[in-house]
This record gives sequence, structure tokens and C-alpha cells, in this order.
Amino acid sequence: MKLDLITRIVLVCTIAVLALLIIFPLTNILITATHENGRAVFSSIFSSPVTRQIIKNTVLLGSTVGVLGTLIGFLLAYAQTRLEFRGKKILHIISLIPLISPPFAFATAVIVLFGRSGIITRDLLGLSPVLYGYPGLVIVLTTSFFPVAYMNLLGMMRSLDPSLDEAAASLGSSKSKVFVKITFPMLIPGIASSFLLLFVESIADLANPLVIGGDFTVLSSRAYIAINGEYDVAAGAAYSVVLLVPGLLVFLLQRYWAQRKNVVSVTGKPSGRVRNIESKGAKFFLLSIPFAMSSLIIMVYVTVLIGGFVKVLGVNNEFTLDHFSYIFSGIGNDAIIKTTLLALIATPIAGILGMILAWLIVRKIRRGRELMDFLGMLGIAVPGTVLGIGYAVTFNHTTKLGEFSLIPQLAGGGAIFGGALAIIMVYTIRSSPAGQRSGIAALQQIDPAIDEASASLGASGVVTFKKVTLPLIRGALLTGLMFAFARSMTTLSPIIFITTPDTPIMTSKILSEVDAGRFGNAFAFCTILIVLVSLAMSAINLLVRGRSIESLSNPLN
Amino acid sequence: MATNSLISIAEGDSKVRASDSSRLQLSNLSKEFGQDPDRTVAVDNINLTIEPGEFITLLGPSGCGKTTTLRMIAGFENPTFGSILLDNQDISKLTPDRRPMGMVFQSYALFPHMSVYENVAYGLKIKKLPAKQIEQEVGFVLATMSLEFLANRAPNQLSGGQQQRVALARAMVMRPKVLLFDEPLSNLDAKLRSQMRIEIRQLQQRLGITSIFVTHDQDEAMSISDRIVVMRNARIEQVGEPAEIYRHPKTVFVADFIGRSNFLTVEKIQSKTKSGKIAIKVLGKNMEVDAHEDAVTASNPVLLIRPESIRIKRSHSKNQEASGTQGRVLNVVFYGAHVEYEIETEKGNLVAVVSDPKHDEIVPVGQMAEFSFDENRAWLLPSGD
Ligand SMILES: Nc1ncnc2c1ncn2[C@@H]1O[C@H](COP(=O)(O)OP(=O)(O)OP(=O)(O)O)[C@@H](O)[C@H]1O
Ligand SMILES: [Mg+2]
Repeated sequence: MKLDLITRIVLVCTIAVLALLIIFPLTNILITATHENGRAVFSSIFSSPVTRQIIKNTVLLGSTVGVLGTLIGFLLAYAQTRLEFRGKKILHIISLIPLISPPFAFATAVIVLFGRSGIITRDLLGLSPVLYGYPGLVIVLTTSFFPVAYMNLLGMMRSLDPSLDEAAASLGSSKSKVFVKITFPMLIPGIASSFLLLFVESIADLANPLVIGGDFTVLSSRAYIAINGEYDVAAGAAYSVVLLVPGLLVFLLQRYWAQRKNVVSVTGKPSGRVRNIESKGAKFFLLSIPFAMSSLIIMVYVTVLIGGFVKVLGVNNEFTLDHFSYIFSGIGNDAIIKTTLLALIATPIAGILGMILAWLIVRKIRRGRELMDFLGMLGIAVPGTVLGIGYAVTFNHTTKLGEFSLIPQLAGGGAIFGGALAIIMVYTIRSSPAGQRSGIAALQQIDPAIDEASASLGASGVVTFKKVTLPLIRGALLTGLMFAFARSMTTLSPIIFITTPDTPIMTSKILSEVDAGRFGNAFAFCTILIVLVSLAMSAINLLVRGRSIESLSNPLN
Repeated sequence: MATNSLISIAEGDSKVRASDSSRLQLSNLSKEFGQDPDRTVAVDNINLTIEPGEFITLLGPSGCGKTTTLRMIAGFENPTFGSILLDNQDISKLTPDRRPMGMVFQSYALFPHMSVYENVAYGLKIKKLPAKQIEQEVGFVLATMSLEFLANRAPNQLSGGQQQRVALARAMVMRPKVLLFDEPLSNLDAKLRSQMRIEIRQLQQRLGITSIFVTHDQDEAMSISDRIVVMRNARIEQVGEPAEIYRHPKTVFVADFIGRSNFLTVEKIQSKTKSGKIAIKVLGKNMEVDAHEDAVTASNPVLLIRPESIRIKRSHSKNQEASGTQGRVLNVVFYGAHVEYEIETEKGNLVAVVSDPKHDEIVPVGQMAEFSFDENRAWLLPSGD
């Protein structure tokens, strides 16, 4: 189709926005990393045992979390699709909670529960394990990220045609043989991609290594130290480039798999009934880990909740509102309002950007749609640490083109709007991929002839988008935005590099409370954050339900 | 205001309509998809003029380029080459929303989040007509299409036929200069299909809108069109009125695609007789037949005889061999209104349809039958492809 003028303008503007929000900062990071100190980092990969140890640590951590998280996610998905038991729905919901948790909730609660002077380890069991470092990180990151694997595998296992299992079983294979020979091979792509996703998520994480990492330094925490401790931007950039490589590789692999997905999911409509496993012993074995996991999650949440209302949890369990009044009276107040406000500003922008991208990709451009999709998704494919450092090196000063100042200083002290703009930009580019993905999925289900009908009735591309496309994908959009908002509110790694005293952000405030050992304040902060996120999610949920188009999008014939 | 509305057109006299209708010309229109190793030529150098108010059908087998041609006219595909003229103005550079075309889609493509009324009003709202006028025009169209009682329904609460009527109303209310249909009836059952095509045809004639209708159903094409364009492999094979295409096909492909055909090889040809016909010898008989101009010079012309032109009689000859105009009945199917025969002759098998058959005249399977046909009903055409 010939693109009309307005659509062309939209296309150009979108590319410009992406260039500003992600391409420019990433390019800058690459350039900065090639400065002298950056080059030193690269060569130290080969020469310095310290740097090599950091890389080894990173890979070790990523692999462990990848394996454990995938295993747990798999058991949970298996239980959901192939087992019948009480509490199935609740188990599902609990399994998703970590997706929207503030980053410190787990780390802090785990220290309080299982640390050297932990409530459970010392008070109940009389142990004093060393939690800081590798073991603590594995526990916390696995708990935080296994839901990613769970969701991934759940979708895949649901789409597997049970009639295949049935056919095999009716040919005389025993259940375990059916699983090993039929089900498992079909899940291998899902398992592999889950592992890779978890690997990348965990090496990209910054919050937990800072809180519970101890001496176990990984690339992200090393980059943080380089910038915030040693003020060596080039070295920080170089570390994050090393971090960027596996992130992007996995992202590309993941896309490659997603394209071949229809080979795996045989049909959209499973035709047989799933044969449930009846044996009590097998059930108990398969369910023990999922239930242990969800108990841990509940325990963590209870700890966070109670921890905010007592003096020092486990030491002085006297009820108090001190933590909350500390937060609401001081700088915390400001952080709550500003964080929420900035996330609220960014979310709709991200939603619109994501939807426009989806629309351009699915409906408007033929050549280069792969590239466009890739650029749009970069915001999430790039580790938060890398993005944050990219923003810091790019927007901490005015960008000049010769004598002419092209972009004013957006981040850091003295920036316009106190650096709020850079934070909104980060939230936007981190959130728009969620809108883009759900938009693409929704658009692909809408008959392209509907767009064409609108065009032949005289509507330009943009009018069609506004009057036809957008109303039809609103549900998907809002759901995507719900997660995007939660993500913005709880993200730390990109923010920590660009937050300023003028723009206090909750997550970075929580970090300073944890750093100072004031766990009670941190818990209270987390509770407030969780409440805010839940409120926003319920509000959006109501909106979606109120205007559902499902009842309209299903023609008879 | 009202002079430009659908209402005034519908109520106006036929002269107004004719002068108001548009002529559409496709010249050297071509479309290629893809790059060189796997390049597809979907439309290959098509030239066609559609007269004002005419109803044209594009007919052809799957993949011959009908949809692509239509989509180029609507503006959804860019021609690789060639131009599209509407009333002598080149519109091929315009985006779809700037072209005065209405399109009716195979999938109806109703807006699922709007009621029937809103669907029909959509285009007029985009045009920013006054609310009063929109109400009038939509009301009128809904009434014309007997859709008033459905005005507040959502598309998913309609039957397939009703959805198609709404789609038609939605296109019609814009008073397009050209109406485009891409297999609009193919999702309907047979009965509704024939009813809808009558409705479409009547409405089109009443409003005098130049129309292009894509189908691969020959009955549909025959019953609805002023002229049929038979397409094959991205090219136009023949253009003509339905009767012309049926009786005087230019090629074996057209003859075969439209209706059923018997082809007989011709033994001897003589050039034109005084009556303008061609003298030939076929099945041992001399006759004079009408012929396509290329058939005279063609190396191997064939004679087309439609099954309904063949007469069948029980043979009383002692000779039980198929020879001359005698053949063995291989198959007989009784349909009530007509009987269909398959007959083995020395020139190959023939299909014959005899209508209103008397019971005792039906020749049973295995018997010899004498067949004949009226030379005025035969048509000589070149066999080469
Ligand atoms: N977007 C496209 N990209 C590549 N090839 C295409 C595209 N659209 C159509 N074609 C090819 O062009 C040729 C003509 O297609 P077209 O859809 O016009 O056929 P059609 O006559 O409408 O067939 P049908 O009766 O099956 O609808 C086909 O070979 C088809 O594969
Ligand atoms: Mg077609």
C-alpha cells in the first residue's frame, strides 16, 4: 500500500523518537567504552585475574539461576497443565507475584529470614549461614525470575496437543516414556529459551548484587562501582558493553525461536483431554517444589508486610508506625509522589509509542519491519544497567552539533526539569516494548481488510488508527500497560545512574535505606510500592473489563 | 447539498445517472511481487476500459491476478507499471483514501466495535458532513437495503448475508464513482448467493455506479455482468458480454472455463463461403459453421459444441461400432429437468445434455446412440494455446 503523507510523518517521527530514546544512548556507550580507560577494561579481560573472576562470577550466577529457575518454572507449568489438585488457581497467582515485586523485597526479606542472624536460620534452627554472595544471590534471583520461565513454558505446554500424548499412550507407552520421548523433546525450545531469558535477566540485575552480593562481584555491580564509586565513566561503559553482548545475543535467539514457534505448537485447539497423573506418590513428588516455592514467596511477603510495622523484625518485634511516619514525613513522601507521577506520565506515552510501532510493523511497512521491531524491543533487550549508563553518558551534558546545542542536558544535577525528563524517557523506552508486543499480537488477529475498508471510506492512515485500530486493541494495550507501569515503579538498575536529588525515586530510596541497614524503612517503602502498583493494576483491570471488545470481535458465520 | 447525495441520484432520472457515472481505464497495468529469483508477475500488462455505469466481472482461476488488479484500482497495491485513469485523470499516485472507490470485501470487514448504523455512517463522518445529512443518508441507505431494523446491532449479531448487506450499504452510502467487489458472496450458501447477486445487480443498475466484480464462479459472472473479463496467468484472455463469451470463446481455455464443452477435431477446412461462414468436414459430414477469425489460419482448429446443442437418438443400426455420428453410451444421469449423457465416439468422449426428456427416449448405458447437432450452434476456434 502507498503510505499516505501523515503515515510517513508518523514513521519518521517514530524513528526519531527511537533514535533519541535508545539508539543514541547505546551508540554513545559504545563510543565511550573505546576511550582509554574503557580499552583498559577490555584488555583486562585477558590479562587481569580480577576481571576474569568477575566474568566467571557473572556466568556462574546466570547459569545457576537459569537452570534452577527453568526447573521450577517447568514443574509449575507441568503441574498447571497436567495435574489436578486443590489450590491450582492460587498457585498460579502466587507464581506470578514476583514479576511485579520491588527489587529489594526479596533480598531484604531473605536476609532477615535466612541470614546469619535470620529469624529462621538462627532463631529456629540455630544456624548461622553465610548468605551474602553467591548462595544468597541464587536464592533471591531464582525466586525473582522463575516466573519468566513459568509463563514461557506454560504457554507452550498449553498449546501442545494432548492428543499426541494420548496417541502415544494408546500405542502402549508408559506415562514416563511418553514424557521422555514425546512431550519433553517438543518442549526443548521452550526450556532452552527459558534458560537463556533467565540467564540474561539475572546477569543484568543490579539491585540484588548490591544488596546481597557481598564480595561476589558481577559485571553489573562492577559497572556501578566504576561509575558511582570510581567516577570512571569509560570503564563503566566498557563493563556494560561486555554485559550487552550476551543480552542481545539471547534476544536475537529468542526471536528466532519465536518465529518457529508454530512448528512446535501443533494446533491452537487442543483436541484431546489431558490425561492427569493419578498416582499419589508422583503427585506429591511433582508438587513439593512448587508448593515450597510459593510458601517462600508468601513468607517473603508476610515478612515485608510485618517488617514495616515493627521496630526491628526478629530483634524487637514491638508494633510501631515509625517507619511509615519517617517515610511520609521526610523525603520519602516526595519520592512516592514523584515516582508515581513520572511513571504515570511515561506509561501512556510508552503505550502509544508501542502501539504505533506495532501498527507500523504489522500494517504499514513491508521492508525493514524486522529491523523496526528489533529497534522497538531494544529498550527491554538491553540490560537496565547498560541503559542507565548509556543515559548517563549521553544526557548528563548538552549535546552539541558544532555551535548549536541540539539536546539540552536531560539527566544529572543541573539538568532541565531536575532530570525528570531523562527518567520519563527511561520509563518510556523500558515500557513501550510491552505495548509493542501486545499490540502486535492483537493486530495480527484483526483482519487487514478492516483497515483497508476504512481507507476506502476515505480515512487516512492515522484516522484509521485512531478510530478503528486503537479501539480494537485497547484491551491488549491496557493489559500491556499495566505490566509496564508496574515495571516502571519497581525498576532500579537504569534509574540509579540518572536519579538526582530533585527527582528522588522510590527504588533508589529503598536502596539507601537497605544500605544504611534500616530494613524497617525499606520494608515500609516496599509495602507502599506494592500497594500503589496493585491499585494501579486493579484500576486498569477495571478499565479493560468495562470496555472489553471481546463481545464484538467475533463475527458469526 | 442534496444534489450530491445518494438520495437524489436514486430518485433522479436515468440521464442524470449516465452523465454522472465514471469511466475507468487501465492501461498497460502490471504488478510484480518480490525480487528476482522468486519474482511473481501477478498482473501482466492489462488494458481495459470500463464504461460509465458498466458492471464488469473479472473471472479466472485461482492466482490469475484478479484480486491484485482490483487492489491496484483501490490503491492498496502500487502498480509496477502502467496507469489507472478515472474520467481521464490518472489516479494511480493517489492513496486509497483519496480515491472515490467503494470496496466490498470477501470477509465483509465490518468494524466490530461499531453498530450497523455507525458502520454505515463512518465514511460520511470522516467526510465531516453535517450530522443532519449523515442521518438522512444513512437512514435512506439502510431503508433501501432493508437493514433499518438491524441499525443498532453489532456486526457479530448478524447473519453472513446481513453482514454482506451492511458492507454494501457502507460502501454505497459514500456514492463512490466505482464500486469494487472481491468475491463478496463466496462465504454465503448457494441460495443466499444467488439472491444477493440479484440484489447487488439491481441496486447497481438503479444507481448506475461503474462496478468491478471479482469472482471465480462462472454462474455468478454470467448472471450479473454487462461484460466478463476472463483472465489467465496474469493476462486478459477475452473480454465480452456473457453470451458472446459463452457462444464465441476465443480460446479453448475460455470455452472450457465458461460452461462445459465438447471439442471435435476438424478434418477439412475451406475458406469463407458466401454467407461468411467456414466450410468444414467433421465426423464425415460437410457443414458450414461460424468461426473465430484466427481459426481459419490456425493449424489445428477445433469445433466447439456445447452439451445442450447435442441431440441424442437411440441407434437402430446393426453396426455396434462407434463411427461417424454414432457412439456408445457410457453413462446416463437423470436429473429430472434434464438427462446427461457421456458417449464414447471414435473422436473421443462427448458430453450431451438433453432437457425435458421423455422417459422412453432415454438411451440406456451400453446401447448405441445416434447423435447430431445444429451446425448453427457450433463454433470453430483455434486449438493452440
Ligand atoms: N503480497 C503478495 N506477495 C507476493 N505474491 C503475491 C502477493 N499477492 C498476490 N501474489 C501472487 O500474485 C498472483 C496473483 O494473486 P491474486 O491474489 O491476484 O490472484 P486471484 O486471481 O485473486 O486468485 P484467487 O481466485 O485465489 O483469489 C498469485 O500468484 C499470488 O501468489
Ligand atoms: Mg483473489
